Formats: sequence, C-alpha cells, structure tokens
Amino acid sequence: MAARDQHGPGAPFGAEQPGDKRNTDFRVVGKPRQKVDGLAKATGALQYADDIALPGMLHAKTLRSPHAHARIVRVDCARALALPGVHAVVTGAEMPIKFGVIPWTQDENALAVDRVRFIGDPVAAVAAVDEDTANAACRLIEVEYELLHAFSDPREALTRAEPAIHADNKHGNVSKHVHLSFGDVDAEIARADVVVEDEYEFHGTTHAPIEPHCAVATYAADGLLTVWSSTQITHYVHRALARVLELPPQRIRVIQPALGGAFGGKSDPFSLEFCVAKLAMKTRRPVKMLYTREEVFYCHRGRHPMQLAYKTGATKDGRVLGVDARILIDGGSYSSFGLVTTYYAGQLLTGPYAFPSYRFDSTRVFTNKPPCGPKRGHGSVQPRFAFEVQLDQVAEKLALDPIEIRRRNFVGEHVTTVNGQRITSNGFLQCLDEVERASGWKARRGQLGYGRGLGVAGSMYISGTNYPVYPNEMPQAGVQLKVDRSGLVTVFTGGNDIGQGSNSVAAYLVAEELGLEVSDVRVVAADTDLCPVDLGAYSSRVTFMVGNATIDAARKLRRQVVKAVAEAWKCAERRVRLIEGRCIDLEDPQRSLPMREAFHIAEARFDTLGATGSYNTPKLGGDYRGGTIGASPAYSFTAHVAEVTVDVETGRITCDKVWVAHDCGRALNPMLVAGQMEGSVYMGLAEALLENHEVNRFGLHSGPNLLDYRIPTSVDTPELAALIVESLDPEGPYGAKEAGEGPLHPILPALSNAVYDAVGIRLKKLPFTPGKVLAALRAARAGGTERATDAASAHSAAARAAKGAH
Amino acid sequence: MRVVVARSIDAALAALASATEASRILAGGTDLCVEFESGRTRPDLVVEVGRVAELRFVRETQAGLEIGAGSTCADLLRSAPVARGADLLALAAREVGAVQIQNRATLGGNLVTASPAADLVPALFALGARVRLASLAGRRELLVEEFVTGYRATARRPDELVESVVIPPRPAGEHRAFHKVGTRRAQSISKVVVALALGPRGAGARIAAGSVAERTLRLATLEAALARGLARERLAQAVAHAVALDTRPRDDVRSTARYRRAVLERVLVRVLGPWLEPEGNAA
Repeated sequence: MAARDQHGPGAPFGAEQPGDKRNTDFRVVGKPRQKVDGLAKATGALQYADDIALPGMLHAKTLRSPHAHARIVRVDCARALALPGVHAVVTGAEMPIKFGVIPWTQDENALAVDRVRFIGDPVAAVAAVDEDTANAACRLIEVEYELLHAFSDPREALTRAEPAIHADNKHGNVSKHVHLSFGDVDAEIARADVVVEDEYEFHGTTHAPIEPHCAVATYAADGLLTVWSSTQITHYVHRALARVLELPPQRIRVIQPALGGAFGGKSDPFSLEFCVAKLAMKTRRPVKMLYTREEVFYCHRGRHPMQLAYKTGATKDGRVLGVDARILIDGGSYSSFGLVTTYYAGQLLTGPYAFPSYRFDSTRVFTNKPPCGPKRGHGSVQPRFAFEVQLDQVAEKLALDPIEIRRRNFVGEHVTTVNGQRITSNGFLQCLDEVERASGWKARRGQLGYGRGLGVAGSMYISGTNYPVYPNEMPQAGVQLKVDRSGLVTVFTGGNDIGQGSNSVAAYLVAEELGLEVSDVRVVAADTDLCPVDLGAYSSRVTFMVGNATIDAARKLRRQVVKAVAEAWKCAERRVRLIEGRCIDLEDPQRSLPMREAFHIAEARFDTLGATGSYNTPKLGGDYRGGTIGASPAYSFTAHVAEVTVDVETGRITCDKVWVAHDCGRALNPMLVAGQMEGSVYMGLAEALLENHEVNRFGLHSGPNLLDYRIPTSVDTPELAALIVESLDPEGPYGAKEAGEGPLHPILPALSNAVYDAVGIRLKKLPFTPGKVLAALRAARAGGTERATDAASAHSAAARAAKGAH
Repeated sequence: MRVVVARSIDAALAALASATEASRILAGGTDLCVEFESGRTRPDLVVEVGRVAELRFVRETQAGLEIGAGSTCADLLRSAPVARGADLLALAAREVGAVQIQNRATLGGNLVTASPAADLVPALFALGARVRLASLAGRRELLVEEFVTGYRATARRPDELVESVVIPPRPAGEHRAFHKVGTRRAQSISKVVVALALGPRGAGARIAAGSVAERTLRLATLEAALARGLARERLAQAVAHAVALDTRPRDDVRSTARYRRAVLERVLVRVLGPWLEPEGNAA
C-alpha cells in the first residue's frame, strides 16, 4: 500500500484509508495527537530556563578570550570585584578539574586555567545585580595573554604538533584517528568494472536553536545545589557538576525545564552550568546566566567540517564491490563527542547498501576554532553526502538509473553488515518505491529541460546506540510509574524532551497499555532528584529506549491491576481488560469499573501502586575495538527525491519540492514523525544552500547572528511530501524506530544530484553558493564536466582565501 | 549621555540646537539600539522622536507625495497614496527585515543611517525624492542624491531633523521596478538591491543600486545610454559597461565583488529588457 503524505495540502492527518488495518489494534498510538505540552507552548505559558526568576537572583556574564590561541599569564579581578553591584567573580583556578562527556577525552575546563584555545573560550565569570553590571565588571577584569601560533587549517594541525593545543594529548594535534578495514578492499576494487574516485567537502554548520543556552543555580543552606539548565542530557551534566565542583552527586539536583530546541547543541556540559553553580555557592544567592546569540555561535559544537576522499568500485551491473574512504575532520579546539564523531564518520555508512568490502581512515584534528560536536545526524551527514554523490557518479558511468543502482545494492532485512552491525527491519526498498512514485521520477527525470532536475539519495541512521558513553552494565533508560487514587498515572523519566515530543510519547504509551486517556497521564521528566536515570536526548535514542522502558513499566502495573480485579471478580485474569478508561470483563458486558476503582482494588490488594521499567540494548556490534560505536538496536532508513531549478544567470539553486520517504518502524504519532521529517529536511536543505559556520583565519566567526547565519525562513522552504513507511521493528516500542535525524541526511546529496540532472555540473563541495554554481557553469562551458567541477573547487578555495561568501 | 524625549517637531529642534557630531536621533531604534548594545556608539545626546506624531503622515500635495520621516515601513505598506505615487517605496519596505522590524523602522531612520545596503534609499533615488530638513535656523530641501554623501554619511547637520521626503508626481508612462537579491528570500541584507524608473523611449531614466559601492548610487552611464535610445540587443553590453564604470563593489561576509557585479548585470538586463525596443524600432 502506498504511504500517505502526512504533510501538505490534501492530506489531513489521521484520514483513514479503506482497508488500512495497521493501527486498529491500538487505541492511542498510530494516530495524530497533540503534544502533551502543545497548548502551553502555543499559549506561551511553558516555562523555559530563562523564565525562572528567583528572589534575590543575581545575573552572571562570562569574559571570553579575544585570542584564538594564547597562554594566560595573569588574571586580575580586583577592579571588577570593586565595582558596585558585583557580588562575585570566578576564574579557572577555582575549578581546575577537567570534564568532557567521553571519559577518555576530558579536556575542557569550566573556565580557562592557563590557556585559551579559541576566540570565545571562557576565562572568567561575574555575578552581579544585573546583566549590565556584570558586563561592565567583565570589562574590568585584566587578563595578560602570551600569544601562540593559532591553527586554522586542519591539514596544518595534522602535520604540525607544536604548539600543541592540548599539551597532554599523546598525538600532537591529532584528536582521534580510526582506521578500520573489513574484507579485502584493494582486491575488490581491483576487480571492479568501474571505479570512481573523487573528493568532497563539508563546510561546517551549527544548530542555531531558537532558545540560547541558559542556566540557573541555587545553593541551599543544607548544601543542596540545584541547577536548572537548558541541557539535553541532564545525567551527564549531573556527573560533570559533581566532578568539577568536587561535590558528592547526591548533593546536586539537575533539572531541565522546557527546552527551545537543541539539535545536539546542548549535549555537552557547558561553562555556564559550572559558573552559575560556583557563583551560587560563593554568593549563597540564586544566579542565572543566559548566553547571547553571539555566545551560542561561539559555543558551537556543530557539525564538523570534513574533507572526504572516496573511492568506489562496482561491477558493470552496478553492484558495489568495495568502498575506500579517507576523512579529515576539523574538530575545533576541544574533544567534545569527537571520539564518537571519528568512528561514526566511517561506521554509519554500511547501510542501506551492502558493501562486500569497506575501509575507512578517519582523523580528527584540533584547530583553534569553536569546538565541533554532535549535530542532528552526528558524524554521518558528511560521509553520506560524499558517498551518495559518488554513487550517482557510478550510476552515470554505467548509464544506470540512480534509483535502480540503489535498489540493486540493497543490504536486506535481518542481516549483519560488513562492519558487524545488526540490521533488523529495513523498509528502504519501499522508501525508494515511494519517492519514485510520488515524484513521477520515471516520467520526469532528465525530461524537465535545461535548468530543472531531479536527484535521489538514501541513508540510514541509528535508533540509539549500545555504546553507553561511560562503561556500565546498568539500563540505558529507566522509567517509574506512580498511581494516584484519582486515577492519574504519573510517569517519571530521565529522558529529555527537547521539542521532539518524548514526554508525549511516554504519555501515549502508558495510556495505550493501561487503557487511559492521554490526559490522565502526567509526565515528570529530566529531574535527577525525581526521575530514574536516562542517558539523555542524543543519538535518536529517547523514543526507542525510554519507549521500551515505559512499556515495560506499564505492563508490570497493568498485571498488578488485572490480577487484583480478577481476584475481586473471581474470574480468570484473561477476562479482565483495561480499555478506554474502564476495567471490563470481556465475557460479561454488564461488569465493568472505572479505572480509578480498579486502581483502588489493586492498591488495597497489593500496597501503594507503582512500577518501574527499564531498557538496555542487547549485546551488539562487531568484535573489534570500536565495534560497539554505531551499533544500534535498530536502524531507520530514508530516501529523498529533490526537484530543483537552477538559475544559470544568478547561480541560485531553488529547491521546488522534496519527496521524503522514511522508515520509522511504526509511527507512534504520525504528526510528530512528519514534523521531524519536515524539520530534518529544512535543516539539511539550509546546510546545503544557505548556512555556513565560517570562521576566518584569525578565528573570528563571519556572522555570529541570525541575520548573517542564514537559517531558512518560511519562504526559503520548499513544498514537501512526508511519506511514512512502517517496517515494524521487532526491537522497537510497538515496532517504532527513530525519526528525528535520519531524514536529514539524503537532502544534501539529493540536491547535488538534482543539480547535475538540471545543468550537468557536479557539486561536490558544500555549501552550494551561487558563486560556486556560476564558476562551475563557466568551467563547464569552457570544456567538459570534469574540468567544470575542478574549477569550481579552485574557485571555492580562492573565495575562502578572499574571505568572501557568495 | 543626555536623553530628550521630544513630543513635537519644535521640541526636537530645540533639543537638537545643542547637538554635536556625536549626538544621535532615535526614531524606531532598529539601527541605533543595536549600536548601543554593541558599545559602538556612545552619543553625548540622544533626541528621541519616535513619539512625534507630526512626523508620521502621508499627504498628497502640489509638489507631489509628502511622507513624514517618522512613517514606519508598515505605514508605507498600508498607505494607498504610497501604493499609487511611490510604489517602489512600498515594494522596498516589504523587504526590510521581519514584520517586527517593519513595525519599528522608519523612513527617516533608513535615510539618515545611509547604509549602502539600505532598502528604502535606492527606491527614493529612483523616485527622484527630495529630502526636507528642519532646524531652528530654518528649513531646506535637498535632492536625495545630494543628501546621501558617502558610507553612512549624509548632508544633515547635527542640529537638523529630517522632517519628510517629497516624491514628485509620477510622469505618464513611466516604468518602475524594484529588485533585491539577498542572502535568503526574506529577512536578509541585500547582496544587490536595484530600484529604477524609466520613461518612454528611455527618457528620464533613474537607475539606483545599493550594496555595490560605499553608498547608494545611480548608474549614470547606463542612464545616459538609455536616454540615447538604447536598443534591446545592445542592453547587455551597455549594462556591463555601466556596471564596470559606475559601481565599486567589495567582498564582504554577504557576497563577493565579483558576484555582485555579475548579479547586478543580470538583474538589470532582466528588468530593462522587456521595456526596450528592438534594433530598428529604437529612436
């Protein structure tokens, strides 16, 4: 059956198609529903971190480094402290312990101790009666720097170890190097009928969440430190605070209020969380710090710039024999999640296509730029771009249809990839069918006339990973349920709702299992005092793992209620069913109870009602070092077709429409899935056409504001068809897989491939600016496509040297 | 810093009598408040005129359409007389920032800031607008091209207030066009912005461009060629010649000089082409 377009005109949500029996067993999931916090968001009532205002609260500001690389000789805060209205100043010397999410690469300080590594590196923080006073005090802090050579080119950092950006790093300025080889790549490529070898480039982009980072701390008389923070990983902030502040973790409570977007940019612990905590401890007053938009840009942790060299060998019927990849990753000044990025850049490419042999060599280096980190589609958007363009080049050489070559290389369902990843359900073929059908591909590709074209690309992504970041055997996700005598069930989860709707999903699942209305389920999330640990909102793990833990807990609770009612009714348990807010006897329609009374019976029978549930991944991944990184309990699959118009006079690319088919296992709420698909596509589209996180050779950002950093406006976004494919995964909650990151990947290569169809130029270096397009067109007119792309590269290098952006 | 909140033109002029080069007039605040925040601007005197109702009007007069300097972009968008007599100004106002900015930003502010990337200023150039200035010493009127003198520089004396602009009546048969190439389709600063007016057979052409020099300018070479009765076939060549001679674009964060020249040429050829006669028909 054809997937329904869940987006755009003529496709009302939840319109049942005749014969659609997929979701008839469910009463809550599978249907479009409001988010549990939807009304509060729409009316502006929701409380974000910056909405918190406490009596006596101070405001803090950060003094940041104006140099890309320097040694700190001296910091003198005396004049700042003397300024009326200033309550406290904190410097790096007071918090010398380093932190970092990955235990093996902890290289960040809350405030610089003896060295600054990028323009914007935090040096000192001030708490004062208001922001203006804190800013004025920052200007009074005297810092003496001794300038060091600043690295801006990752190739220089690769070969030059001195001055080392991190003195204790074992490998000069190399942050991480991974070399993994599966099968005999050289032999496979040697026997290939066709080999394509080329270079690609990803420029670097950032998340640009609408809510800037914000944190508030209080330090109570009894020694309890409470930190509210706009983080997407409460648990890691909790751990990091305990470590850096040298406090027992049981004296720290971390709470994530409502969050205004994150996209990976709030995954690390940030300087402000430590600073407000330390300043609250020093002043015994509540302290708030809110980053400016400029600070958000410099904090960054966005998508890594990568230089990618790929070689693919294939048979004459289009079957890939081997892929050889070399990737240089510009990590910026700190490790962040960089160890994982370096693995992901290679490990996540081995689906949806079968690679008989595969080798990758990926190297992340430090440079004196804002640190890169995880951004939606962490580590795999850049290699996916390179490979999907290269696969089109292979198809072109073989005169094969680009969709057909992708079909022929389908890896299959319930298989293990060449690098040992277990793939369960896989709806990729249906995704290809859907976009082929919906876009009219067969009739329209190559037929739209000069200047217009269609391009396709595919991808896969993880639904969480079994790599737990810090080694431990405990569950990755825990959930606790509490039942009130009113009939209300409260879900306590450590999972972070960052706008993706994970709190709503938890409520839907409990309502489904216990036969309740969604409004009779309340969710308390991301509060370390109240909620069981969850590892947080990253790697698209929350719906999958918290979802499974929630179902586990709800089923335990349901069994208690059913058992107690069956005993009271003196009937078999199988006759007792919880449905639509009532507890009914399947064999006696006259006998039923409101759920509240069923809960009362169960509480009287068993004790205070409640249940816990958890989820841990099965043992997964290849049996080699790094084999678990990128190993996921389930993978999502996506295919895009993009339609473009290229204005050959101005060089502007307009994306007219995108057809997205995404296999999310089961759509627990198709409206939320479609929303994720839409957001992913628009984010990826802007990365290809508009956005550029450009840092010049002095380490300055080219436009750290939302005017010059061009996230798309509503008029920059094309029409979109969101086609949901449901492969029903055996491991996911009711068969669900991820939907928040996978659908981003294919748009970048699909656009490049569509431009090739439109005007015959192969864009291999992002972003696709009008100037690059014009240069490539000029070169193509001067002679030959190959020269065209080379000239485009040369032009882009020249443009960068000139500090120009088109 | 002294702040005077003026409620009338007279009060504003009285306050401005003691103004220096470092003093500033605050209207919508969309430029100035950003400068205050960044610390770039530390004026000795700020005269706030945002509440002066007398500055916010549109009226049709003998001399043409007179628009108060305090009119916001949103006012320009909503005004029927502006739509009739100064359509370019409404088209330009629609391109300024977001709706929130359009509700605050004023015609006078855009003109006095005199950014080379201003959206309203090229429209005023193409409309042949005159700027009315007032001070305690008296009133004077300048052509808008005489008013804008350089990069963020104008002929306004520190004691003067821009009261209004006057748009001459639209000549019969005049073509007009406004085109902006930004970094995205909305809420962007221009890479190139063009506003132009063209009489029958190329007479009285006023071709204005922004973001291609240190100030908004008119492409005099192209205007002269059009006045001589340029044929459609020779347009591209004439445009290339004029862009090379008349503009001085530079590389910056939003574009490169090379791209700006190229895209300005394409925009001019596209806009002007349909209005020109083919060879043989031309005068």
